[in-house]
Amino acid sequence: MIGVGKCWAFKDDEQPPYPTIELTVSSGDRKATISPKVDTGFNGSLAIGREAVRKMRLTARGTVLIRAATGHSEVPVYAVKIHQPDLALSFTTLAIGTERSLAGRKLLENRTWLLDCEQRRFCATTPKSATND
Amino acid sequence: MMRPFVEAIRTFRWEPFRSVDLVERLGYASGYARNFLSQATRQGLLIVESKRGKKEKTFRANPSVVREIVLRGGKEKTELLEALGLHSKFLGQYVALRGFSVVDHDADLYSLAERIFPDTEAQDDVVITNVGTPKKILTVEI
Repeated sequence: MIGVGKCWAFKDDEQPPYPTIELTVSSGDRKATISPKVDTGFNGSLAIGREAVRKMRLTARGTVLIRAATGHSEVPVYAVKIHQPDLALSFTTLAIGTERSLAGRKLLENRTWLLDCEQRRFCATTPKSATND
Repeated sequence: MMRPFVEAIRTFRWEPFRSVDLVERLGYASGYARNFLSQATRQGLLIVESKRGKKEKTFRANPSVVREIVLRGGKEKTELLEALGLHSKFLGQYVALRGFSVVDHDADLYSLAERIFPDTEAQDDVVITNVGTPKKILTVEI
């Protein structure tokens, strides 16, 4: 039996609404809470939007070539620490700089998720039944 | 300015060279060579090394330029990495560079980043980049 753990509401600033997850990213003594769009078409861990980069005054630690729907492009990369206490996540990773923040498959892997389009929520699941359902 | 600079790196790497070396090995006119050395030094691309007892100045590519060019990206980055000989050794991989030195490399960006940046403040003089099209390229399909 799988239970429902922490949930995040879909964002509805575009239609249909889309799933998000809430994370805190930090670099040195600067931190920001972001709600990246859950993007299973992104095979990396985190893409961090321009607004968060500006707010945290992140310095690029390199540039890498990525493949997007419109073709290849070069993006900056940032070393950031990701915190998500509800999922017991806390690790340093490389985030790519993009227009908007995205949570990719590498961040989602090794965990079971519930994409609940009826109740418009994206949830982590728990091994036991109904902890937060 | 970048083209003769990249050519100088391709030819001399990080070894010192003189104006006459540009004439003899790259076939530049002496006036062009002098003009390039003057401008490149002003722009910080080259470092002047004066040796005691030597009349002619020697120059060396400035290693900090690598970081600036990688962060700018684009064609200049590609040409620089190729001039450094990285395409023949690390094509399709990600490399971590400190100046002209490859401190680490990996086909997987995240494996490399784990080693180079164990925390967000680590090794701020190192830059990570791809050499050619990565075999394990990041894909954003939106």
